[in-house]
Amino acid sequence: MLCLETTDLCHRYSAGEAVLHDIALAVPHASIYGFLGPNGAGKTTTLRLLLGLIRKQRGTISIFGRHLDEHRVEILRQVGSLIETPSLYEHLTAAENLALLQRIHRVPAARIAEVLERVGLAATRDKRAGQFSLGMKQRLGIAAAMLHRPALLILDEPTNGLDPNGIIEMRDLLIALNREEGTTVLVSSHLLAEVERLVSHVGIVHRGRLLFQGTLDALRRESQSAAHVSLHTADDGHALRLLADAGVPARCGSAGLVLPAMPPPHIAAINRRLVEQGVEVYAIGAQGGDLESIFMNLIGSRAA
Amino acid sequence: MNSVFVDAFRCEWLKRRRSLGAWLVAVGAFFTPAIITVVRLIRHATLPQLYADPLFWTLHWRNAWESMAIFFVPMAAILATSLVVQIEVRNNAWKQVHALPLHTATIFFAKFAVILLMLAQFFVLFVLGIYLSALLPALLVGGVAFPPAPPLRVFLADTALYYLDCLPIVAAQYLLSLRFNNFLVPIGIGFLAWIAALSALSWQYANLVPYAYTMLDFLKDNPDARRAVVSSGMHALAAAWSVLFVAAGYVGFATKAQKG
Ligand SMILES: Nc1ncnc2c1ncn2[C@@H]1O[C@H](COP(=O)(O)OP(=O)(O)O)[C@@H](O)[C@H]1O
Ligand SMILES: [Mg+2]
Repeated sequence: MLCLETTDLCHRYSAGEAVLHDIALAVPHASIYGFLGPNGAGKTTTLRLLLGLIRKQRGTISIFGRHLDEHRVEILRQVGSLIETPSLYEHLTAAENLALLQRIHRVPAARIAEVLERVGLAATRDKRAGQFSLGMKQRLGIAAAMLHRPALLILDEPTNGLDPNGIIEMRDLLIALNREEGTTVLVSSHLLAEVERLVSHVGIVHRGRLLFQGTLDALRRESQSAAHVSLHTADDGHALRLLADAGVPARCGSAGLVLPAMPPPHIAAINRRLVEQGVEVYAIGAQGGDLESIFMNLIGSRAA
Repeated sequence: MNSVFVDAFRCEWLKRRRSLGAWLVAVGAFFTPAIITVVRLIRHATLPQLYADPLFWTLHWRNAWESMAIFFVPMAAILATSLVVQIEVRNNAWKQVHALPLHTATIFFAKFAVILLMLAQFFVLFVLGIYLSALLPALLVGGVAFPPAPPLRVFLADTALYYLDCLPIVAAQYLLSLRFNNFLVPIGIGFLAWIAALSALSWQYANLVPYAYTMLDFLKDNPDARRAVVSSGMHALAAAWSVLFVAAGYVGFATKAQKG
């Protein structure tokens, strides 16, 4: 079952070029969905549209199986969000900032202490938000987003400004919320490595287009199929003929020869054979196969 | 009133705690009474005669309202409105407000109600200040007759009308503040509109100028006014302008393409 679904979502800021093209997100219920893409890809624009913060121009958005256009207020009751920088009233304390929201969401006041504890800010509840460091603000922003136990959390690059330790804590917190309360988490990031150990599903967006969407495992499989061995020699033509004789399907790439992925001993054997036949090998090695390179590959190959 | 609105209003009211707008209301309201008190203490020799005057309260009331009606009320309306809206802009908080489970109208009117209540506070504190500025010199300077009980009913009626008179300014400034994120724009426009209203006072259609009503109200029966001011139907006109600006402000707010 899908928690959030969009079809055909497009957006154009006034008088500018289109920044989103036909975005069709499918965020499964109780998943942790990583929405990935480089800076300027359109992540924040998409998430703003999902919350109704910018007027939708084309496409449909449904959350919890209802259309956002008609059921905005009911939907938002179950959604917690943090878009770009946290929205904190700097002249108010951490607890006061949460008390504002507690009133609207009608949750017990005790929940304020609970979420502050959860994000590690229990000791600073009476400090003004203006005196917080960037990382502390980010934590308070998360506390605000999860205050009313939303069924869906929409977090836009929530690890901005966090130290490595903070990033791990954030990851553990989101995983715990997902496991314990079944919260669906839609989290954007420009770094795959940062969310690789957090997410169950991935959507990769680049220049406003969704290039990949599926489970993390499916992305891994795709990345394995994209893996190859690259070879660079003094005489690539000669090497190509020798490889063909040996039954290795090789082809010319942009920088040397491209061979299918193979186990390391086979790579060593090919190297030995080429050297024995008098071909000087400059470089040979496995390429791709990890998530970061499939990510870069997707972005690079479809960037034109 | 439904309880969602009450919660939204209380939430908005909390936000102005310790904010510049909240301080401005308190300081601004007591400014004129404080000046009057200080001036009287300096000129204490004239006090016995002033306090013995049977028209003491009328004179005192007019004296206190002069700078208020001409300057402080329009300025307070302009600044308080901008400062309240600016709380959201400065803290990047509009996006959070609009992502709350509230209807746009609730958000719009809860914030507007906060501005109205702050200004009501400003007026009440000012009236209290007027009263204190009458009492204090009498208490501090010897040989001055204690003033009689003030005509409270008249004062409250006057104050309520002044409040109504400033509503077009509040509503127009609210519209502008929601429209422009840079607070200098609404404040600048408000200031220019105030100057324009000031120079339009002796115009035959002055009663149509939305920023002029507090001034017209003060000048309407002032024997010192250079020319008769046109103030016919001004309270009804003030109410009409207010409704118009609020409606326009709401339409602009609800149809904004980008909400923070
Ligand atoms: N308010 C805006 N007005 C005009 N263009 C914008 C605005 N916000 C973002 N953009 C443009 O839209 C594109 C996508 O931006 P954004 O959604 O913020 O990307 P991301 O969050 O993935 O970094 C960028 O090219 C950016 O310049
Ligand atoms: Mg962004």
